[in-house]
Amino acid sequence: MSAILCHRLPGGEAGLAAFGGGLTRLDRLDSGMWDMHRADLLGAPDAWRSDPGLRLLAPGNAEDARHVPILADATGLGRVDRMVVTIDYSPFPLALVFHPGRALPLLGFGVKYEIAGPIRASALTGGAWIMGGAFIDALGGGCSAPAATHARPDWQDGFGEMRARLWPDTGRLRVGIRHPMDTGLADGIPAHHLTDLTLTDARGDEIARLEIHEPLEENPVLTFLLPPGLAQGPVGITARDTSGFRFSGKVAA
Amino acid sequence: MRITRRQTLLGAGAALLPVPARAAPDYRLDPRQVADGVWLFEGAQDSIARGNGGAICNIVMLESPEGAIVVDTGGTHRHGAALRAFADGRLGGVAAALNTHHHPDHWFGNGAFADRPIHALPGTIAAQKAGAQALSDGLYRILGSWMQGTAPLPATVQAGGDLALGGRGLTVMALSGHTGADLALIDGRTGTLIAGDLLFLDRAPSFPDADIAAWRAALSILGGLPVTGTVPGHGPFHRDSRAVAQTLAYLDAFAARMDAAATQGLTPVEALAAGPVPAFAGMAANPAEYRRAAVQQWRAFEISALPVIGGSV
Repeated sequence: MSAILCHRLPGGEAGLAAFGGGLTRLDRLDSGMWDMHRADLLGAPDAWRSDPGLRLLAPGNAEDARHVPILADATGLGRVDRMVVTIDYSPFPLALVFHPGRALPLLGFGVKYEIAGPIRASALTGGAWIMGGAFIDALGGGCSAPAATHARPDWQDGFGEMRARLWPDTGRLRVGIRHPMDTGLADGIPAHHLTDLTLTDARGDEIARLEIHEPLEENPVLTFLLPPGLAQGPVGITARDTSGFRFSGKVAA
Repeated sequence: MRITRRQTLLGAGAALLPVPARAAPDYRLDPRQVADGVWLFEGAQDSIARGNGGAICNIVMLESPEGAIVVDTGGTHRHGAALRAFADGRLGGVAAALNTHHHPDHWFGNGAFADRPIHALPGTIAAQKAGAQALSDGLYRILGSWMQGTAPLPATVQAGGDLALGGRGLTVMALSGHTGADLALIDGRTGTLIAGDLLFLDRAPSFPDADIAAWRAALSILGGLPVTGTVPGHGPFHRDSRAVAQTLAYLDAFAARMDAAATQGLTPVEALAAGPVPAFAGMAANPAEYRRAAVQQWRAFEISALPVIGGSV
């Protein structure tokens, strides 16, 4: 059971199978920074495993180190309390913490890649940690290069613009925010990035929440999956950044 | 690795000898004349890799009384030097060189032609200067010792109107679409079109700097030209218009696939993982080229699929 939608494209199901299906190859992933990050970022769980119920789709190499597209689909695991995205050799190893709440445990996003290595999505379910990961080759520089928008004098134009769309048939929700997501590592450009994003239902009650750190791509687009009861919308989206800016929008089916 | 006679003679004992630093492998050129005084060095139908030394694009030499007119100079300095040696030995030297566009497989051999004028469109020269370091870093990593001695040298002469080099008349077309500046040539003596990477045949087109609408417009221009034969940027020489038709079909199918993915709410990595359009899945350099293209071109399709619903408050 997976919520991956490759089959919507002609030949996509075979393409996904040829791509590896997003299954984790532990022979390449029980290494690197995994021991340390498990201790530092996941609360030192001894019990962890990989599981076909958690699929992580990632390209084999970072064609664009500033935008590496990832999909973590833990819908095959049942209820997930939270999902933590870590990048082994990033200067900012903690990328995202997703609290699915009343949404389903699926998260699509893009990250910056500073150096080749594994990316992992670890899902806490029933007290156990399930890790899905992939190795991404990269020439690097994604976190230390200035955001592309700073090449323009008018980078504030359109800052914070929010785009979104809800697909009630599949429950997909995609949300984009124009934001430089500055890490603070580029010369002369202080850190300025989103810190959290919340989805709310028609009554204003929280559906899901995402903690955001430096590796999230510039002008991020996030993908969520809502159950049928919420997929008709409307869904409210609010976000904040390190400078105190607030962003908000509402999307209906 | 190629086995040399010396290694064969040394036999099993060679395994006991200290391992020498691996020498850079050699380029083996296999030129053939496709029209009167038109020499084609056909590139490997693949992505840049250690197996091919980056010699993946087609290179053309046009004979003239003053030496060869070299269209694209190879993917490394050593590739360029091998091409230069052929021109010096067989075609009476080099009259001039041209770069069709700024992708490195087409001009990283410029250093071997540094003593001759190297022509390119102004937009190509600007992109060569801006991108040389990043392209070079990437290629050293992919190609290793094949890249020995490669210090990218941007073209030196801005190409404008038609050229007469070494007495050979060339129609110069300044187009775009594959990149921001794509030069295509027609050799006046033979009517041969040298299309650069505006045309691919039986090899998946690459999209890192592509503007699909501009590319379509360029194809409609190329498709209407009365030519006797065509050298695409990648793929075999041919006498009909099938590279135009195939490249256009690929662009249309690729754009339709990206659009279908974005409007159905797929993530970019799902579009990537789904692989190429089935009709083109078996094409040389696929699925790798499709996967790269999906990342390179995704954002424009995504933005048109997601309406603005809010902003900074």
